[in-house]
Amino acid sequence: MIKINNLQARVEDKEILKGINLEVNPGEIHAIMGPNGSGKSTLSSVIAGREDYEVTGGSIDFEGEDLMDLDPEERAHKGIFLSFQYPVEIPGVTVSNFIKTAINESRKGRGEEPMKAREMLAKMREKTALLEMDKSYLSRSLNEGFSGGEKKRNEIFQMAMLEPKLAILDETDSGLDIDALRIVAGGVNKLRTADNAVVVITHYQRLLDYIKPDFVHVLFNGKIVKSGGPELAHELEEKGYDWIKAENA
Amino acid sequence: MTDLAQDLLSSFVVAEPQLNGSRNLGVVHLRKEALDRFEAQGFPTTRDEEWKYTNLKPVLKHDYRILLKGDDAVSFADIKSYLLSDLDTYKLVFINGKYSSWLSDSTHQEFDVCTFAAALNKYPDIIAEYLGKGAPKGETFVDLNTAFADDGAFIRVKANQTVDKPIEILYLTTNENGPAFSQVRNLIIAEQNAEVQLLERHQNIGDQPSFTNFVSEVFAARDARVSYYKVQNDSDEATLVDNTHVVQKEQSNVHVGTYTFGGKLVRNNLHFYSAGERAESHMDGITIIGDGQTVDHHTLVDHQEPNCYSRELYKGIYLGKSHGIFNGKVMVRQKAQKTNAFQQNDNILLSDKAKVDTKPQLEIFADDVRCSHGCTIGQLDRNALFYLRSRGIPKREAEGLMTYAFAADALEYVKIPQLEKRLNRVIAEKLGINLEFAL
Amino acid sequence: MSDEILDEITASDYKYGFTTDIESDTVPPGLNEDVIRLISEKKNEPQWMLDWRLDAYKTWLAMVEPEWHNVTYTKPDFQAVSYYSAPKQKKELDSLDEVDPELLRTFERLGISLDEQKRLSGVAMDVVVDSVSVATTFKKTLAEKGIIFCSMSEAIQEHSELVRKHLGTVIPKRDNFYAALNSAVFTDGSFCYIPKGVRCPMELSTYFRINEANTGQFERTLVIADEGSYVSYLEGCTAPSRDENQLHAAVVELVAMDNAEIKYSTVQNWYPGDAEGKGGVFNFVTKRGICERNAKISWTQVETGSAVTWKYPSCILKGDNSIGEFYSVAVTNNYQQADTGTKMIHLGKNTKSTIISKGISAGKSHNSYRGLVRVGARAENARNFSQCDSLLMGDQCGAHTFPYIEAQHPTAQIEHEATTSKIGEDQIFYCNQRGIGTEEAIALIVNGYCKDVLNQLPMEFAVEAQKLLEVSLEGSVG
Repeated sequence: MIKINNLQARVEDKEILKGINLEVNPGEIHAIMGPNGSGKSTLSSVIAGREDYEVTGGSIDFEGEDLMDLDPEERAHKGIFLSFQYPVEIPGVTVSNFIKTAINESRKGRGEEPMKAREMLAKMREKTALLEMDKSYLSRSLNEGFSGGEKKRNEIFQMAMLEPKLAILDETDSGLDIDALRIVAGGVNKLRTADNAVVVITHYQRLLDYIKPDFVHVLFNGKIVKSGGPELAHELEEKGYDWIKAENA
Repeated sequence: MTDLAQDLLSSFVVAEPQLNGSRNLGVVHLRKEALDRFEAQGFPTTRDEEWKYTNLKPVLKHDYRILLKGDDAVSFADIKSYLLSDLDTYKLVFINGKYSSWLSDSTHQEFDVCTFAAALNKYPDIIAEYLGKGAPKGETFVDLNTAFADDGAFIRVKANQTVDKPIEILYLTTNENGPAFSQVRNLIIAEQNAEVQLLERHQNIGDQPSFTNFVSEVFAARDARVSYYKVQNDSDEATLVDNTHVVQKEQSNVHVGTYTFGGKLVRNNLHFYSAGERAESHMDGITIIGDGQTVDHHTLVDHQEPNCYSRELYKGIYLGKSHGIFNGKVMVRQKAQKTNAFQQNDNILLSDKAKVDTKPQLEIFADDVRCSHGCTIGQLDRNALFYLRSRGIPKREAEGLMTYAFAADALEYVKIPQLEKRLNRVIAEKLGINLEFAL
Repeated sequence: MSDEILDEITASDYKYGFTTDIESDTVPPGLNEDVIRLISEKKNEPQWMLDWRLDAYKTWLAMVEPEWHNVTYTKPDFQAVSYYSAPKQKKELDSLDEVDPELLRTFERLGISLDEQKRLSGVAMDVVVDSVSVATTFKKTLAEKGIIFCSMSEAIQEHSELVRKHLGTVIPKRDNFYAALNSAVFTDGSFCYIPKGVRCPMELSTYFRINEANTGQFERTLVIADEGSYVSYLEGCTAPSRDENQLHAAVVELVAMDNAEIKYSTVQNWYPGDAEGKGGVFNFVTKRGICERNAKISWTQVETGSAVTWKYPSCILKGDNSIGEFYSVAVTNNYQQADTGTKMIHLGKNTKSTIISKGISAGKSHNSYRGLVRVGARAENARNFSQCDSLLMGDQCGAHTFPYIEAQHPTAQIEHEATTSKIGEDQIFYCNQRGIGTEEAIALIVNGYCKDVLNQLPMEFAVEAQKLLEVSLEGSVG
């Protein structure tokens, strides 16, 4: 589905990604772990097309197409979804109005008709139920005055509505209490199919107890320094990141 | 033209040859031009937008003496209560605009703490470089002061120097001989990475009216740090027009605190010009006044360069038949991207004869900025009041405590503990509360 | 935001820029007593009206054009303006068939076809083209309730005493330079009277246009809501594009008697001038309402047009427990200048006012909020809340806030907040990531920013206003 080849990126003069290689296939769950400042969030931003980062080398191939020249919204139309570590507040714009616009713009981008209002409503009802959200969420201003947990849940709600092929969850577990974590993870699991894939970016193993990864990668200093199965996450949890740092010093 | 304006113009002819700096051609020129501008403009009236709420007529009508003489009879005992007695400071004392060397404690060691008159003769180059460069031409009171003022504090802190103790400046007016019109002037220069703390006070001794037209120019070079505290607690007959203009360069940090409790009419024109990147400007004010008093704060923060920060917090408590005015203007020029400007003006009216006029004004010409201003007029929170009373605090004390807490917010940036203590005491006195529970 | 988008904003054209060829009956330019007599005569006015006009004219002669506002423009030459222009037509029209087809087409292009309006929205329209009413609808329905809704000319003929009693009571002839001018030369406008206890069953609506080159437009509107009545009044404007500056100096007076409520909504998109700042309408309007006991007046405005706007819809809260509200969105682009806001004068006890102002500046424009909140010495327990936000798009424009707050009573509670911001890069990226393109993202964010005001508009008007916002910031706002 997505193939990242020797990806290098920097912000201003600081090199952050120093040659990332990663391949994710439909139906797979990958976890990317690593200490703070290793480049995890940069990787997700670069995949989503954030212009603050300059890609200095390598390529990202999504379903056989080079992503580099595409705008962020075009990448979204192709089915890439990023759950933000810090979701942005947009005062005065309701969740429902926002998601309606997002869905119909994506459909327009793919040359499809706008979704019918009735269908949209039914879908919203279904997905709010899935994430155990009160329907009053829909009429609140997007992320404004939301608690940390509400913001993250709202991200997964949007993911459920947009049905992306590739979902990147950037530190979705941070700021969540155990109940919220269970609901969010449950939502992600229910949304899994054989055709979509999930990349979970996290600092801790905690989330991986709920969303079980097929592959675990360790990102350190702009490179993936170790890959393995779910057992790698447990090893990291036990030993901390110091041994990775020591090995790669 | 008012009688006073006429008197001033004719006095100038008499005074000019005797004014300090009269041998310096540049200064002579400056004075003459300034006087011409004053003559053209005269005193402002309430028709001028900047004086809309403050009527000067009642205080301009007195028959002021304009050319004042020093007074040798003043002793340390007379002025002791106006100083921060428990603090070791450099002292500059002026009586009727003349430097009083026997009451003062100046220095020329690592830094100049001396008089404007001395500097006019001793440092003509510095005077030429700085005098009149901070305070804008065309402001009538500044012009009038430029024409007449020939003494005041001159402070210059050279690069990388920190003045070891605060500098206290006291301007006294004695007026046994009738109403006095006094014009004094500060020039304060903090060179690169220099640091200085200033305390300033104007005081009228006696029961006759006085009018002080004061200009203070402050220049903070790169990385300089200046704290400047003004305690305004003058007599009921005193009028003060304070024109303080601060020019800031890169990364300098200047704080001006204005604490106003006394005086018949006080007008503060406090202007900050942030002319260097990452400059930080702080302005705080507490005003507590009562019957017959008017206090008018006019502030300007002129953001000229990017990445600067300004913070302004003015609190007013109005008792009796008093009148409070606040006009805070924040200007962000086109170049000044990433400016972060905060302004807040809160007022409490404690009497049905008190009046507040406030105008927090923003003028923004750059798009990537964070500016916010707020202003409130109100009373004490009834719920909080009830809470305190339910804990056994009597109504009067509860009110006092809450009012005190409201005002004391603006003391956070006072860096001299003795001053903070003193201000706390004055606030408590003004509000008629016992401080035991407030401190 | 990228530079191209900013460029595009500045490049958006006025969509409604076209003129209609209708033969006009126009008085030659210039102003003197004879012109005023002529206007009054043409309109067959009673003597008191003429005297009133002449008195206003004398007052005006002694006044000077104000200069305190934060706008610059070439002052109009009042002797070059024509003070009367009426489309030539048969005396009375019974149905739309009799209206000049050219005119009907104009309305259709503006999207306000009378048929459609009548059929779909149930809005009664008093259409004003160049100062004279040409069609009035739904009169019968209103008449059954005793509601009077007609042109000012007709009101002066048919309801002379009502007009005489209230005209100039809220905005005196000598109130300001432009109000005095309007009082002397106004040609038409709308008049509305809601009788005691009547709730007006439909939104009353008027559309104004300037249609004749060099024709000054001096509308006069008077809305009277008698005790316990309610009315919602909509006013919308579009003007054809012209090279020379056109002057618009309207006066709107609202009288809300005891327990009455008036909701007055405006969407204003007069021609703003072209991208170089050439042309455009000068909009110098005086709007004010007076509230008696327990009365409420609510002003809502969406201002996107005019080269220069100078406008402060205000409330005099005279009666105890009365309420004043002001909700405003003002958009300026290119070289537009707007100096707008409100005055809330608290005189009665327990009076309340709310001010929500949202300014958006783009291009090289200047947008000023100027407001006054005054609490008088007898206005016990007065409350005010003001929120004045500015949004800047690009670094060539300016946003200014001049709030005047005057309190003379210790029980006054006044809160004023203001912020200045821009549309965040992070907000745009967030929308992008969800598949929303940058232009749509900006439209979404701007509409969200203005929501508190748009929510105050009647439904059908809100949609139009939203469309207008997008048109005015077109290129960036989609």
